Amino acid sequence: MSSVSELYDVTWEEMRDKLRKWREENYRNSEQIVDVGEELINEHASKLGDDIWIIYEQVMIAALDCSRDDLAWSCLQELKKQFPDSHRVKRLAGMRLEALERYEDANKLYDSILQDDPTNTAARKRKISILRAQGKSSEAIRELNEYLEQFVGDQEAWHELSELYINEHDYAKAAFCLEELMMTNPHNHLYCEQYAEVKYTQGGLENLELARKYFAQALKLNNRNMRALFGLYMSASHIAASPKVSAKVKKDNVKYAAWATSQISRAYQMAGRGKKENKCSVKAVEEMLESMQITMS
Amino acid sequence: MGEVELSCLAYAKMFLHASQFPRCSVNGLLLSSSPAEGAVCITDCVPLLHSHLSLAPITQLALTQVDVWCAQTQQRIVGYYQANACVSDSSPTPCALKIAEKIFEQCNNAVLLMIDGEKMFPGCRVPPIVMYERKDARWALKDKHTIMLRQWEETCSVVNQLFSSGDQALLVDFDSHLDDITKDWTNPKLNAKIMELVSPANGNV
Repeated sequence: MSSVSELYDVTWEEMRDKLRKWREENYRNSEQIVDVGEELINEHASKLGDDIWIIYEQVMIAALDCSRDDLAWSCLQELKKQFPDSHRVKRLAGMRLEALERYEDANKLYDSILQDDPTNTAARKRKISILRAQGKSSEAIRELNEYLEQFVGDQEAWHELSELYINEHDYAKAAFCLEELMMTNPHNHLYCEQYAEVKYTQGGLENLELARKYFAQALKLNNRNMRALFGLYMSASHIAASPKVSAKVKKDNVKYAAWATSQISRAYQMAGRGKKENKCSVKAVEEMLESMQITMS
Repeated sequence: MGEVELSCLAYAKMFLHASQFPRCSVNGLLLSSSPAEGAVCITDCVPLLHSHLSLAPITQLALTQVDVWCAQTQQRIVGYYQANACVSDSSPTPCALKIAEKIFEQCNNAVLLMIDGEKMFPGCRVPPIVMYERKDARWALKDKHTIMLRQWEETCSVVNQLFSSGDQALLVDFDSHLDDITKDWTNPKLNAKIMELVSPANGNV
């Protein structure tokens, strides 16, 4: 079996830098991390200097994701040797127990961290993840709400909570979480677009108008967000087709929908250029846009 | 109710879809290119989402586009599949029931298929699926004996081959298509690969 460095013709430095990039941007491409990381650790450990510890951590978590308990265990041992009393390493040991579905043991470990250090957010979040893994959504939601009362700036937690609410079909509360995220991350087009989707799902004229506005905002922030483009098209079309709106509102929304249609067509034309295999999806979109225009007028 | 046949192509793509997103709930539509009378033959599937399954806009968009594509290719939507993120729970979610209802409005022998994550390990002898049909105004478990997977061993072997060759990464679902519209959710490349692997002796797959 060829090594990663042979297969992709990369040096160990490039592999190390790739790992750093994945770490910094929080990618969860665990199989790749395991492939690259395992080779780096096995073949080039001595060259990595102090970087090796954070790489052990990264590779360990990725190994858990891929059911590579052997690799996870060996990484954990190295970290335990180097940092014998560390809470951070203890949390990793807890994550391994979670991966083995030994939730009670994991919880005991996290509780012992919290006894020592009640402000340890990582341990608290792991406990909430356990609830989620066990399917205990309402408890996870409750705990997460309590956590957020204390740690109101934790973006990751707000997003996790919005996901939980969406799964429970509690769209109003999901919208609230997304509002928090939009406030603190005004340039993030994804939050705008998700908020718009939630509003659209809630339905009703007012929510549809809000949805349309936030789809438009998402597009302003990133004009290639296809979900926002389609969302704008669909919300404007629904508003225009509603018997409850004034002639002016109808006219405006017909305009918005038409604009969205042209943008969508253009995007698909560009995507389908020279690629025979894309004809199917392009044709499907064209026909769909045509048929929706008919129902609108 | 009647018999349901699940083709290798449909099964393989569903399985690949669930495997591609092990931490997410995924869903998709089951299609048939066979006539509406008699047994339901699920000949293909379209993988749809791996995020926010219960939000309306993208689901509506996907249903509309698949409808259009089916009309263009003489297929019908005959069912819906879903694999829950939580492996130990393969019961239909409210979202699954809702979409299945919609499909039932157009197709009176529609099926709802839940993938049983716990049975997806290699070497499992039993197909990891649970099927529901519409009976007395609710979705009831279908009698296992009315569900047919032709050439089950061969289907498993096809799936294994896709994983060993790395071709499982070819699968594009509707969500991925929206992330990059040059990717085609009708999966022509993957379909061709799967049909190549299915032995020509096995006529109707």
